[in-house]
Amino acid sequence: MISFKNVNKWYGDLHVLNNINLEVDAGEVVVVCGPSGSGKSTLIRCINRLEPIQEGELVVDNMAVHDKKTNMTKVRAEIGFVFQSFNLYPHMTALQNTTIAPIKVRKMKKADAEELGRETLTRVGLKDRINSYPAQLSGGQQQRVAIARGLCMNPKIMLFDEPTSALDPEMIGEVLDTIKMLAKGGMTMVVVTHEMGFAREVANRVVFMDDGYIVEVAPPNDFFRNAQTERGKAFLSSILSH
Amino acid sequence: MWSFYFHELMRSLPFFMKGVWMTVAVAGLSLIAGTIIGFICGIMRAGRNKILRAVIGVWVDIVRGTPFLVQIFIIFFILPGIGIELDAFSAAVIALSNLSASFICEIVAGGILSVPKGQREAATASGLSQYHQLRFIVLPQAMRTVLPPLVGQYVLSIKDSSVVSAIGVVDITRVGWFTVQRIPEGIMVFGLVGLLYFAICYPLINLSGYLERRMTVMTIRL
Amino acid sequence: MLENFNFRVIWEYMPLYGQCFFATLWLSALSLIGAVLVGILACSMRLSQSRLLSWPAGIYIESIRSTPLLAQLYFFYFGLPSLGIMLPEWVTGVFALTLNSGAYYAEIIRSGIQAIHFGQIEAGISSGLSYFQRMRYIVLPQAFGMTVRPMLGQAIVLVKDSSLLSLISIMELTRAGQLLTSERFMPAEGFLTTAAFYLVIYYLLKAFSNWSEKRLIFKEAF
Repeated sequence: MISFKNVNKWYGDLHVLNNINLEVDAGEVVVVCGPSGSGKSTLIRCINRLEPIQEGELVVDNMAVHDKKTNMTKVRAEIGFVFQSFNLYPHMTALQNTTIAPIKVRKMKKADAEELGRETLTRVGLKDRINSYPAQLSGGQQQRVAIARGLCMNPKIMLFDEPTSALDPEMIGEVLDTIKMLAKGGMTMVVVTHEMGFAREVANRVVFMDDGYIVEVAPPNDFFRNAQTERGKAFLSSILSH
Repeated sequence: MWSFYFHELMRSLPFFMKGVWMTVAVAGLSLIAGTIIGFICGIMRAGRNKILRAVIGVWVDIVRGTPFLVQIFIIFFILPGIGIELDAFSAAVIALSNLSASFICEIVAGGILSVPKGQREAATASGLSQYHQLRFIVLPQAMRTVLPPLVGQYVLSIKDSSVVSAIGVVDITRVGWFTVQRIPEGIMVFGLVGLLYFAICYPLINLSGYLERRMTVMTIRL
Repeated sequence: MLENFNFRVIWEYMPLYGQCFFATLWLSALSLIGAVLVGILACSMRLSQSRLLSWPAGIYIESIRSTPLLAQLYFFYFGLPSLGIMLPEWVTGVFALTLNSGAYYAEIIRSGIQAIHFGQIEAGISSGLSYFQRMRYIVLPQAFGMTVRPMLGQAIVLVKDSSLLSLISIMELTRAGQLLTSERFMPAEGFLTTAAFYLVIYYLLKAFSNWSEKRLIFKEAF
């Protein structure tokens, strides 16, 4: 579904993605972890070309993302993206946030889109906040609206860029539960997160990154019990100790 | 014809330079007075005395709510009626100082109020006096927010000084008005007037923009 | 002064003041509509990738902001006839006011657009909205929400600036004060009444500005 082949990316002189090779199959859940500055956010942002890559091939759902001629609007419509900082539209209600893209990109009828939006918001547990503005919602609720906004496009892939890092601890659970629900429903997902309990429960594979390299790829139990590299071990002990 | 008028205009340049001098004098004096009065009023406006705050608030509203031209007329025509004799120059400086002070007052008060409350509490906790809190803790931080709009206000005041030409002060605008009676090429004459103002204001506008960019990363030493 | 204040004369001139009050209102309203349109146009030109568009817009905005309105007004008032363009005074006045405030509106709109967090645009890109759709549904509504206050602030400035039209003999509020001064030599009565009328407009706009601020529920999220 997603395929990186020898992908390289630089910011000026800084080599942020170093010869990345990774295949994500349909229905698979991949968790990407690593210290800050390791390139994991850049990796996920390349998948819908929020960041362009300079070298290599990146194919998503049989569409060549590395090719400048590819119509990205079409690719992006198939990918839901959830940001660390939510990025909800502050001037729209929860429902309007979820319906704007279906109406404008999918050309759905307004009534149908609203029906879909209500359904999806109910699914993420926000039935009674449908007409609230983002400023009236807690962080956890805002992030669930953001997830619903992605889901309303009926995407083939969902990407999560540290979806719980900006949240207070007591709100992390509700967001993770929502993402777990999607994983159980068979959605293809790439999740950048430090929530290792979550990774163990839902991930098929864990990708550990450091310094722009993919250092290890392993099923979560293998990675957590028996990391193969020194860097992997050091990272695990640093996040598990607190 | 055009080149003849251009020649005439060039011969009037010394007259224009006198106008520039007058504009600089009126605006300069008013900005000095306005800054001093504005800072004092701004500090009081952000202070604890409710009556002072309200009085200053009404003054600011009245100055902001009426055109500068009307304020000049009131000062120039009405003050003599209650026994204060004024020449046009003094009336202009008083009016422009008053205008600048009211705007600077709001800028300073806004800057002081933008300093987080915790800063004052920390200063109180370490035993600093009211004056020292203001002088060493609050004002230096407030200056970051104050400086860019303050320079912006200087530009506005210099431009507003053109209005004093209406009571006969011979500033750049008034020189232009005299000259256009003699040289009927409005575009040329007031093009020159504009150019002279531009030469004074444009560097200040850029300074204000520069300060705005700098202030986000820098603290000011008072 | 106050014991001699002649309310009877003010009453006598009240029909004139009423007329002039409405003249100020519609001259300002006309210029305001024009200025917002010019502002939107100039801002979108300035933010354009093409130098051919952004340069002229930049020159227009900078030269307006670095010169006084009065000089601009005289530039058109004396300049247009020397180009053979004869317009009624009020048209010249509205034209100058529109061009002047237009430059300020362009800057207000630009600051609103640039204050929008880049994450907003990324979210729009991620869900496949086109450039036009992102502008129309995400950027502009938020920019408008954030700039309501400075927009109304500029409207207040515009109303006050319209007082300068009295200097090219257009009948409006300040002109009424000048008439009372020259016909009856009662500057106090004349200009204080004029000032009172401006204050009415000022307080109405200020109240509207505060009200709209409270109405914009989403602003806390910025």
